[in-house]
Amino acid sequence: MNKRLPFLALAVLWIAACAPAPTEVVPTPGKGETPVGAETPSAEPSLLRITFAWPLYVDPAVGSDYVGSTALANLYDTLIFPNAEGGMDLYLAESWDVSDDGLTYTFHLRSGATFHDGSEVLASDVVYSYNRLHTIGEGYAYLISGVTDVSAPDDTTVVFTLEQPSGLFVPSLVRLYIVNEDLVRANTNAEGPYGDEGDYGKEWLLTHDAGSGPYTVIEFRLEEYALLEKFEGWWNAAAFASNAADQVKFIGTTEAVTVRTLISTGELEISDQWQSVEAFQALDKIDGVEIMVFPTMSSFYYMVNNRIPPTDDVHCRRAMSWAFDYQAAVALEWPGTQQMVGPVPATLGGHDPNVFTFHRDLDQARAELAQCAYADELDKYPVQIDWVSEVPAEEKFALLFQANMAEIGIPVEVVSVPWLTVVENTAKQETSPHIVTIYVSSALPEAGLMIKDRYHSSTAPTWQQNEWLLDPELDAAIEDALATVDEEARFAKYLDLQATIMDMAPSLFLYDQLEQHAVVDYVDWTPEANSAVMGYQLFLPWIGVNR
Amino acid sequence: MRLLAFLARRIYQSIFVLLGLSVLIFIIARILPGDPARTALGARAPQWVVERLREDMHLNDPVPVQYVYWLRGALGGDFGISLVTRRDVANDIIEFFPASFELVLLAGIISGVAGIGLGTLSARHKDTWVDNVVRILSYMGVVTPAFVFAIILLLIFGLALGWLPAIGRLSDGIPAPPTVTGLMTVDALLAGQLATFWDALKHLIMPAVALALGALSQEARITRATMADNLSKDYIATARSLGIPERIVMGRFLLKPSLIPTVSILGLDFAGSFSNAFLVELIFNWPGLSRYGMNAMLRKDLNAISAVILVLGVIFITVNIVVDLVVGGLDPRIRLRAARSE
Repeated sequence: MNKRLPFLALAVLWIAACAPAPTEVVPTPGKGETPVGAETPSAEPSLLRITFAWPLYVDPAVGSDYVGSTALANLYDTLIFPNAEGGMDLYLAESWDVSDDGLTYTFHLRSGATFHDGSEVLASDVVYSYNRLHTIGEGYAYLISGVTDVSAPDDTTVVFTLEQPSGLFVPSLVRLYIVNEDLVRANTNAEGPYGDEGDYGKEWLLTHDAGSGPYTVIEFRLEEYALLEKFEGWWNAAAFASNAADQVKFIGTTEAVTVRTLISTGELEISDQWQSVEAFQALDKIDGVEIMVFPTMSSFYYMVNNRIPPTDDVHCRRAMSWAFDYQAAVALEWPGTQQMVGPVPATLGGHDPNVFTFHRDLDQARAELAQCAYADELDKYPVQIDWVSEVPAEEKFALLFQANMAEIGIPVEVVSVPWLTVVENTAKQETSPHIVTIYVSSALPEAGLMIKDRYHSSTAPTWQQNEWLLDPELDAAIEDALATVDEEARFAKYLDLQATIMDMAPSLFLYDQLEQHAVVDYVDWTPEANSAVMGYQLFLPWIGVNR
Repeated sequence: MRLLAFLARRIYQSIFVLLGLSVLIFIIARILPGDPARTALGARAPQWVVERLREDMHLNDPVPVQYVYWLRGALGGDFGISLVTRRDVANDIIEFFPASFELVLLAGIISGVAGIGLGTLSARHKDTWVDNVVRILSYMGVVTPAFVFAIILLLIFGLALGWLPAIGRLSDGIPAPPTVTGLMTVDALLAGQLATFWDALKHLIMPAVALALGALSQEARITRATMADNLSKDYIATARSLGIPERIVMGRFLLKPSLIPTVSILGLDFAGSFSNAFLVELIFNWPGLSRYGMNAMLRKDLNAISAVILVLGVIFITVNIVVDLVVGGLDPRIRLRAARSE
């Protein structure tokens, strides 16, 4: 055989593969290009492509991270809907009443809403959805707690009975996604961990949806992408933007070079938010691409252990809070990033914009340090700061902290720790480091939930609280605030809680996190008009595609 | 008969290798930090849900007991549920393996053909500029990780030139063929979907080349070194002195015995590509087994880790057996030695 043949074959293969596609293939057009072989481009469904960090769980009893929340917000309907002001609007529920004792909530469903298979959304579906979420216990189940009974006296009425009054109950229903009971039951495996309910349809719902939302899953390739299609029969179809995408593709990649290539070649409309500052700067330089920035319900904390020396002394903690250079930290982030005001993100309802906040003042820091019980023996207690090794950007903040503390004589050891080790270390008081640097996000747009997540004793053995406050008085005040049904009174209590926490200086409050996405100019998207609740910024009916 | 005996002996030995491998990986996966149940369910899941999952997965039992549970399931083809995909691990492997296999197969073909070709070329032009150029390129190929090639190829052919698609196995709007083998190109041909075949092939090229370049360079160096060494041997001088045409000397007398170490390395590279491809699969958003396995490790997906490592072990053993057979075919002395040792 001719020895040159393999080379020749390879060369032919290469050239052939690089040649333009045959006309029957309709490739994705680049910017300003006409689709090859597509004689009537208007017949093509408009497509919106967005990259996300994977895996994606579209089961409403399982999904709860960013991509899952985004999918659920678009595949399913809820009784209420979060608005841009941090409040809740009526949605599938036409109205709701609460009993005088604050224990019974009655929701009246609007008629005419249908699931993607055309069947009507009934009150019994809401009951089934709650029971399913509660029994499985995953995803957002932890949010909707304290419900002792759910019933459907008729097809349009749902009654929730609570164990005790809760100001968070109604907002938490934004995470009760209503599933089609008949469809899920038809696709339930008899064998499963949930007794008579088998697997509760979990396996089927991994790659299908059973919702009534504005979009429906038409194709799901695990570890690769999910393709959603507009549901023309949506009860709220009038809310679709005139140029809302016919199809939306969730792509499971966040690799910087891949995202940059896709967006440059017109194969991606909206990037994920997980790109580095440098990657966003590079994306910003591409013609027709802009970086969209908006606030989130997430903040960056230095969680200070309040139980080990020297950070168990409030004066030491205050000294550190005065010595840290917040403006230098903010300058390391995307332009527009703001220092935290108080202990919760500014986007949350009940946030106090006037609460006392530390700023860099070395004189104040030294004065506080002089009062610290360990002032004369700081060398004995080097402060260990753990940053999460999977988030390399955190290191520069840790090094900044180390440099700032050196100015007042506090020795600091910077340690890179994998996330799973952080989770394990912070689960026990004896293994929790002096400081761990973590972004924390609120699941609901209320300051009270964030305060509970961060400082209530119930969260001490979790990564959400390295502080180990274990303060019964604070716990009682938090519980009292959360049990207050009247919003105005509840928010007033949140203000008191924020002032109390700032006085304790349990943490360093660095900055409120901004969310960035690279977006091409033929997409109409105004995230600031949407709720900051995770998943709702990308509410697809309101995003237009002009191509 | 000898061949059958050889195969039976190797398969028998392999059982113990796989058993040892499974014990090792089972223990290593369990001493990694972090509670797999908590990792899977998230930090905010109630403790009773975490405990239920721990019970379901027998995580509260001693490790040897856990191993017995796992082994009993694995022998029946049940590797348990993946904590990441929430499906049977066996189903995941069936879904993700063909994508990796297709990728690694093309990479193996490219590296084998081009590596041996370049090595031969280099040996024939030993110590000339051709040899020097191939040597420099080979060194660069050997020291450069596959993911760097992946990024370079993506930037050139995906971004700058726009000739090849950047991610996935098919473009938007291209219908996927009915799954028969799981190999997109093969299934497309079987279904007669030429446009799909074309598109799938285009998606394969960049990741396959990125994966092939390192192995190709290594194989070129080894082929060149062995051929150059054999060139100075007496039997080649004898063949030439007998007037045998140079084409036959090079092809039959020189290349064939010189391929033995190359074939061994080719086999190892082929098997190794399954585990080394994860960054390439990540960059090209390729839904393959390597990426699945790496994600499993990052998320402490115990069942998936054990199953993927076991599959990789089977691949290594199978490829080694095939390599032994091929090497035996290339060199009768090896066959004879093997026969005598029996």
